[in-house]
Amino acid sequence: MISVAGAPAPAAAAPPPGPVSRPGPRRTARQAGLICGRQLAILRANPSRLLYPLIQPVVLLVLFLAIFAGLARVPGATYRQYLVPGIIVQNVALTAPTVGLGLVLDSVSGITDRFRSLPIARSAVLLGRMLAESLIFFVQALLVLGVASLLGFRVRTGLPGMAGIVAVAVAFGVALGITMCWLALRIRDPDTAGRALFLPMVPLTFISSTFTPIDRLAGWLQPLARANPVTAAVDLIRTLADGGPLGHEPLYLAVWLVILSVPTGLLAVRRWQAG
Amino acid sequence: MTQHMLEVTGAVKTFGKVTALSGVDLSVPPGRIAALLGPNGAGKTTLVRIVATLVRPDAGVIRVDGYDVVADPYAVRARIGLTGQYAGLDEALSGRANLMLIGRLAGLGRGTARGRAAGLIDRFDLAAAAGRPVGTYSGGMRRRADLAASLMARPSLLVLDEPTTGLDPAGRLQLWESLAGLRDEGTAMLLTTQYLEEAERLADLVHILDQGQMVASGTPAQLRARTGTQLVEARFEPASQAVAAARALAGRLGLPPGGVHADPAAGRLTLAAGGGVGTLLQVAQALAADGFAVADLGLRGPTLDEAFLALTGQHAVGRASS
Repeated sequence: MISVAGAPAPAAAAPPPGPVSRPGPRRTARQAGLICGRQLAILRANPSRLLYPLIQPVVLLVLFLAIFAGLARVPGATYRQYLVPGIIVQNVALTAPTVGLGLVLDSVSGITDRFRSLPIARSAVLLGRMLAESLIFFVQALLVLGVASLLGFRVRTGLPGMAGIVAVAVAFGVALGITMCWLALRIRDPDTAGRALFLPMVPLTFISSTFTPIDRLAGWLQPLARANPVTAAVDLIRTLADGGPLGHEPLYLAVWLVILSVPTGLLAVRRWQAG
Repeated sequence: MTQHMLEVTGAVKTFGKVTALSGVDLSVPPGRIAALLGPNGAGKTTLVRIVATLVRPDAGVIRVDGYDVVADPYAVRARIGLTGQYAGLDEALSGRANLMLIGRLAGLGRGTARGRAAGLIDRFDLAAAAGRPVGTYSGGMRRRADLAASLMARPSLLVLDEPTTGLDPAGRLQLWESLAGLRDEGTAMLLTTQYLEEAERLADLVHILDQGQMVASGTPAQLRARTGTQLVEARFEPASQAVAAARALAGRLGLPPGGVHADPAAGRLTLAAGGGVGTLLQVAQALAADGFAVADLGLRGPTLDEAFLALTGQHAVGRASS
C-alpha cells in the first residue's frame, strides 16, 4: 500500500471515549425507555395512527355481539357475558402483528442500521417497542371493558378482577407481539409480513373458546382449540370476570406466555442485530 | 507508530456463493479521508457495513481505534458514526427529535444532547426545518440531517456509504464542504463513492475496489500517474461528430478500433499520446484533412476516470458533475 505523505495528521476531534462494553440491565432499561418514547412521540405527531387501534376493538365487540347474540346459546350465561372475554383476546391477537410489522418497516428505512451501529443493547429496540405497544394493549383493554359494560357485560369480581383481566390482555399481547417480531424479522419483506402475520390470527382466534365452547366445535378442531394459547387466555379472563376458583388457569397461561416470548424473543434479538 | 483510526487487514466476506470481499487491506489515520471507489457490486458497501459492525467478516482483522469489530463491537460503536445509503432517521419525527433520540441512545444526557443538537442544526443549516418531520425534507436536507445525527456522539471515525448519491450539484458541494470541515477538525472518514470527482475532491487516499479486491490504492495524483501516458483530447461541435472523428482518426493513424475513445455525449475523443506533442500534431493534421470541426484540441494528463478504466477494465459508473 502507498502511504500518504504530507502534513502531520491533526489530533482527533474528541478525546477517545473509554472502551464500552455490552450495556447492563440499567442502561438497557434506559435505552428501551428512549425507544418507547420514540414510539409514543410518533403517535403524538400522528394521532391518526391511534385511530385504528382504538376503533378496532369496539368494532369487533359490537359486530360479533350483533351477529352471534341471536344465534348462540351458551350454558349458564348470556352470550354477551361469554363473548366479551373472547373479544378482548381476539383484539389483542389482531393488534400484535403490528409490532412485528413496525420492526420490518424500520429495517427497510435506514433507521435500523442506525440503531444497530449505536452502542445500545441488542434487545433495547425490541423491548422499547413492546413497552410502547403494551400501553396500547392497556388502553384497548380498558376501552373494551368500558364499552362492554355499557352493553351489559359484568365483571363480578370488581376492581381486582378488572385489573387481572387487563393484565392478562397486556401480557398475552406482549408475548404474542414478541413472537410476531421474530416472525417478521424472519420474513423481512413488509408486504409479505403484513399478510403472513395477520392471516394466522383468524384460525388462531376462531379455533379456540373465543366464540363458542370447545365441545360445540367440529370434532377434529377440538384438540386444536384445547391446545390453543388463545383458549388459555380467554378462559382465564372468563374466570376472572365471572368469579370462581382460578385453579391451574393462571399457571397454564403463564407457561404459554413463556413459550411465546422467551425463545422467540432471544431469536428475534439475535436476528435483529444480525440484520 | 501512530495509531490508525481504522485498520482493515485481510477482510473477507462471502454471501452464499458470492464473494463480496476477498482479502482487503486499508487503513485510515486520524483526520484523514479514505475513499472506496468502485462500480456497483465491487464490495464497497460490504466493507462499510463490516466496519460499522453491521456485518461480521468471515476472515480478517478490522480495528477501529484499536478495537476489534468482532470482539469489541460496543467499543467500536461508541467510536463511529454511520451515514448509510438510506437516511438513518425516523421520517415521522422532527429533525431535532431524531438528533435527540440518537444522541441519548448513544449515552448523552438530556442537556448535552440538546446542546449538541442545536449546534449541529445550526451548522448544517437546518434551523428552519428542525421542528418539521424528516419525511417532509428534501434529499439534501435529509442527508445533512443524517450526517448531523451521525455526529451527535462526536465519533472519531465517520463511515459514509455513498453520502452524495441522489443529491443535486449544489447539495453535493455543500456536503463536500461539510465533510472537508469535519476532516480539518480531526475526524477520520471512510467513504464509498461512485463519483471520481468526489474521491478526488475529498480523499487523501483512494482505494479502488473491483469484484471484492483492492486493485489500487494511493493518493489521487498517484493513481492518475499509474496510467503513465499523456493523452490527446479533442472536442467537437456539434458533439455528435466525435464518433465519426474517432473512427476516421483510428483509420488514419493505423490504430485498432478501441485505440481512440469517443464520448459522444461530451463531444470528446481521447487517445494515448505515446509520442507526446508529435502525436498531437498528427491528430491535428488528420482531423484537418478530414474536415472535422474541432472546437478544442490539447494534450493533458490522465484523469482518475482513465486510471480507473486502466486498472479495472471498466468505467466508473458515474460522474459527480453530470
